[in-house]
Amino acid sequence: MALIEPFAGHTPMQAQRFSPYSDNGGTIVAIAGEDFAVIGSDTRLTVGYSINTREQSKLFRLSDKTVLASCGCWCDVLTLTRVLNARLQMYNHEHQKEMNTPAVAQLLSTMLYYKRFFPYYVSNLLAGLDAEGKGAVYHYDPVGHYERNQYYAGGSSSALLQPFLDNQVGKKNMNGVVQEPITRERAVAIVKDAFISAAEREIHTGDAIIINIIDKTGVKEERFALRKD
Amino acid sequence: MFLTRSEYDRGVNTFSPEGRLFQVEYAIEAIKLGSTAIGISTAEGVVLAVEKRITSPLMEPTTIEKIVEVDKHIGCAVSGLIADSRTMVDRARMECQNHWFSFNEKMSVESVAQAVSNLAIQFGDSDDDGGAMSRPFGVAILFAGCDEKGPQLFHMDPSGTFVQFDAKAIGSGSEGAQQSLQEQYHKSMTLKEALTASLTILKQVMEEKLSSTNVEVVTVTPEKFFHMFSKEEVEEVIKDIS
Amino acid sequence: MSIMEYNGGCVLSMMGKDCVAIASDLRFGVQGMTVATNYEKVFEIGPQLYVGLPGLATDTESVLQRLKLRVNLYELKEGRRMQPAVLTSMIANMLYERRFGPYFVEPVIAGFDTKKQQPYLASMDLIGCVTATDEFALAGTCGEQMYGMSEALWQPDLNADELFECISQAMMNAFDRDAVSGMGAIVHIIEKDKVTTRRIKTRMD
Repeated sequence: MALIEPFAGHTPMQAQRFSPYSDNGGTIVAIAGEDFAVIGSDTRLTVGYSINTREQSKLFRLSDKTVLASCGCWCDVLTLTRVLNARLQMYNHEHQKEMNTPAVAQLLSTMLYYKRFFPYYVSNLLAGLDAEGKGAVYHYDPVGHYERNQYYAGGSSSALLQPFLDNQVGKKNMNGVVQEPITRERAVAIVKDAFISAAEREIHTGDAIIINIIDKTGVKEERFALRKD
Repeated sequence: MFLTRSEYDRGVNTFSPEGRLFQVEYAIEAIKLGSTAIGISTAEGVVLAVEKRITSPLMEPTTIEKIVEVDKHIGCAVSGLIADSRTMVDRARMECQNHWFSFNEKMSVESVAQAVSNLAIQFGDSDDDGGAMSRPFGVAILFAGCDEKGPQLFHMDPSGTFVQFDAKAIGSGSEGAQQSLQEQYHKSMTLKEALTASLTILKQVMEEKLSSTNVEVVTVTPEKFFHMFSKEEVEEVIKDIS
Repeated sequence: MSIMEYNGGCVLSMMGKDCVAIASDLRFGVQGMTVATNYEKVFEIGPQLYVGLPGLATDTESVLQRLKLRVNLYELKEGRRMQPAVLTSMIANMLYERRFGPYFVEPVIAGFDTKKQQPYLASMDLIGCVTATDEFALAGTCGEQMYGMSEALWQPDLNADELFECISQAMMNAFDRDAVSGMGAIVHIIEKDKVTTRRIKTRMD
């Protein structure tokens, strides 16, 4: 029994516990081709049921060969990408060269693991060209586990989109199909279809998508409207 | 001598009125007491060759290590105070592993030279807690390696200055050896030619008779990376030059 | 862990042109442990009437038994077959009777309305809130995955063969991304004059 009892009918005042994370939603998708990579994000930023903005891209151009997509707790996204950009700049100065995509991939993993016990609450996808000029997609968990993939979906609609990509890009559960390299047009079309489906059912995803297409000539950007409700 | 350099040759933090740091200059002098080391960079790879001074017949020659592996793709030859070189090689190795850990790629030869140079000029840093040296390092280093820019050779002296070379000699016989290198080096040299050239020149500047026990030879190539020559392999090269 | 995910499993149903399809996976497990790989969650109630009951397996069985009892009584009393919409109301009422101690099942009802001569599709939550639709309905542990797949693959007025391909692909790719669903699937295509049942082999992990 408590030594000091509260006044009858009253509960003692309790300080609201500080919660350091918020989930700002958003969805990101990336597909790697033979000599290109496509990466896209929606542009909606939410807190619970409210929409903070309808035009916040979640793509971060790190170089002419590498683009990062990041979503989750938006303040963590902002901090992570700022620190990452600083690290890239330091590398440029120290080694007189631009960091290639696999090196950025490793660096990002190290940076995330560095905060193993107070993590950045973010989903990351990294897309670009590797040292041989082949398309590369890397996906991460919040504490730095990473893996190179041909395609991946992250963020609030990842569960809706990943099986769709398995099917349409990975040709899973298809009998008698020859796995041929995906074309740029098809990759972009799949990304658009995926987001249209996600926006249909998942309220934290919508408004518009920004798509970046990365090849040896650089990064091209495309915009596509989604439903806004 | 004492007249011109009085007082200013003691502290490593004090310039002389002529703008010189005597301790650094003396450190560079210390290199000239060290054993000769030669490095030649070719399109196929880099050769490092050093002499080992066997000062006593009771000495075990294999325990003198003057060429060491820094990473799979980088080796370095040292001349001067060998004990000092251990610290610098440790730093070079640590930087390489750190780079691999952070970026999952090989560190470039130039970056390794830069990293070690940062250590070399930390002498006299009194606010550095404990780690810094109180005097300049007494070693010169030849960094040989193959990275994305191809085979490269870098030379670094106790002042921390590092410069890329096609061919470079350090140590007691360096003056004569550098002269010979200048005469013999050409851009289209093969790795085999570089091997024989390095040992021929080493033979000329060495006081003792060159043999497979008193030289160390290493090649760093894009295919085999760091490769230390065995006794037999060294004998094979010596056969061609005598 | 939610009680709805204790045994795992999922049901997906889609409307086509003059046809409707309903499918379930075949896994029965206890949390992570797979116990059986031939556990159907879609049951035949009438010649052209099917109900899927994913959720807690023990409640699946109970609800099914009580359902059969009530359907039998209805058909004896009325002397005619039960229409899908009637079955839906009946299940909804049955579940709402247990409003504060519910059966942990989310039924999906698919059938052919022989009076209106058109396919019928509805789903409801575990306390009987009905959603009738002419698109697709689903329930189970990989709901998000099935919504993603169905939203992308389904379109109106698919014929029976196209509908089979659509529902199979949606189902398989969805439950391949769910650890507690899968292990093969069964699909029923309900048309005006016939029902086609097919079993699908999928990856068994």
